[in-house]
Amino acid sequence: MIPPAPVLLALAAPGLDLELSFSQAMQGLGLSAQLAHILWLPLPMLLVLVAAVIGVLVTVWLERKISAAAQQRIGPEYAGALGILQPMADGLKLLVKEDVIPARADALLFTLGPVLVLIPVILSWLIVPFGQNLLISNVGIGIFLWISLSSIQPIGLLMSGYASNNKYSLLGGLRAAAQSISYEIPLALSVLAIVMMSNSLSTVDIVQQQNTAGLLSWNVWRQPIGFLIFWICALAECERLPFDLPEAEEELVAGYQTEYAGMKFALFYLGSYINLILSALLVSVLYLGGWGFPIPVEWLASLLGQSIDSPFVQVFTGSMGIMMTIIKAYLLVFLAILLRWTTPRVRIDQLLDLGWKFLLPISLVNLLFTAALKLAFPLAFGG
Amino acid sequence: MTSFLKKVADYTREAVDAANYLAKGLSVTFDHMRRRPVTVQYPYEKLIPSERYRGRIHYEFDKCIACEVCVRVCPINLPVVDWVMNKETKKKELRNYSIDFGVCIFCGNCVEYCPTNCLSMTEEYELSTFDRHSLNFDNVALGRLPTSVTTDPSVHPLRELAYLPKGVMDPHDIPSSQSRAGKLPSEIIQQINQESALDKTTKNLSNISAAEKDN
Repeated sequence: MIPPAPVLLALAAPGLDLELSFSQAMQGLGLSAQLAHILWLPLPMLLVLVAAVIGVLVTVWLERKISAAAQQRIGPEYAGALGILQPMADGLKLLVKEDVIPARADALLFTLGPVLVLIPVILSWLIVPFGQNLLISNVGIGIFLWISLSSIQPIGLLMSGYASNNKYSLLGGLRAAAQSISYEIPLALSVLAIVMMSNSLSTVDIVQQQNTAGLLSWNVWRQPIGFLIFWICALAECERLPFDLPEAEEELVAGYQTEYAGMKFALFYLGSYINLILSALLVSVLYLGGWGFPIPVEWLASLLGQSIDSPFVQVFTGSMGIMMTIIKAYLLVFLAILLRWTTPRVRIDQLLDLGWKFLLPISLVNLLFTAALKLAFPLAFGG
Repeated sequence: MTSFLKKVADYTREAVDAANYLAKGLSVTFDHMRRRPVTVQYPYEKLIPSERYRGRIHYEFDKCIACEVCVRVCPINLPVVDWVMNKETKKKELRNYSIDFGVCIFCGNCVEYCPTNCLSMTEEYELSTFDRHSLNFDNVALGRLPTSVTTDPSVHPLRELAYLPKGVMDPHDIPSSQSRAGKLPSEIIQQINQESALDKTTKNLSNISAAEKDN
């Protein structure tokens, strides 16, 4: 890992470190440091898994409510207050449904497909930071890990499309693979421009580099084109409208999901929504300053005459950081839902045209332009 | 070189236009978010059918003279009029009358042409059954009056858009005393009567004055 610039190091507060406090408390009870570490490990994993699932429930509810509002309907209303329990009811229904494997399907690949789609998506949550030390693991290759994990997903889609032994499923799987592969390249290139500016692949460093001057130092101002390309590609990767060709219900029934029912279908469903939230979170991490406030915390703390290291300020900034990340991510989820009801689906040739002939060259130019700016203005573009 | 530059410029313009159209579309959907839902929560809320709603047909057995005009004006000769000729009185004696609402298209021709007004259209539209043969209504079933939406205690009646007061878009929580936009037919008739009465008095007055002049 390349160390961040000394300027940033000086500005970056150490922040809340829960693991340190936990291991100190455990050592106080007479446990060894290693044992404390092992005891600590499952806690953030479990927490993030639960957070991801709750995030999916909220997103499903939001999707249904916002879709209803955009169409002047009411949406789910009777399951809980304002229908908030509706996604729970849907999930429960899928849980108790019969698990059907079609007679002529390849049972092993058919079962493995949804698992292979869901696991990389959940694994990618490893690198999503909610604060200075509020992530499962600050991996040095950070964002690269996400890009490489997301390329496993089309294999699962293709697998389930092929194993279903159904022409709609096969077409859907092929489309999913083609779409994922062609949109991964501009996605990676736009991420590369960010990485070049922050001199690090680690998501924590990328966020810290953006939080020197609050709102003004967010990457979205330095990478407006990269931001748009990343968002378009993220929508395509999530197979959301206008890029939902793999499951285009009017032509392909449900694409690769056609033959799936019960919990296997629920895995696909869960995977697609976790992926949507993950993409929104990563957009907020890469371009919108992650856990950073629009106004830097250091300024606020000094304005109120508080030390940045005092426990109260640290807990407050830590929880506000989580809030900021979630707010930014859900604003993007809202935008995705609104886009769903605004844009018509593109054709497969238009999709590939957009990916290869428009986004790829533009993201390449963006990358070269960023490199030139970095050489010309090292102060503003991360020397 | 210039043609290449022109291509680049055209391409850029197209991309900007596309972004513009997208933004316009987003503003439309965003605007829809703050609009009131048009949902009518059906079994609990129902729209009040308009005055000339053509629902299930009502039939009064005692008024019917078995003339079969309804059968002749019906596009598919649907009403079944079962009568016998009473030789002694030399009059038709009606025994049964039925209309199959599984086949009826609710055009209202029979109602229009019935010479004794024994047929009329109701506001009933909930005609779903488990068996289509139970939609074949005989004279007893045809003689039943439907439950009105406004008098049904289990239903919250909602006025249709045209029956709302001026400027109101939401049919919920509007007092029934508040009249709809424009005049009711009864009010128009009243107004016409008043005007004609006024006309008459002025005519009488002018007649009187003319007579006085003659004298």
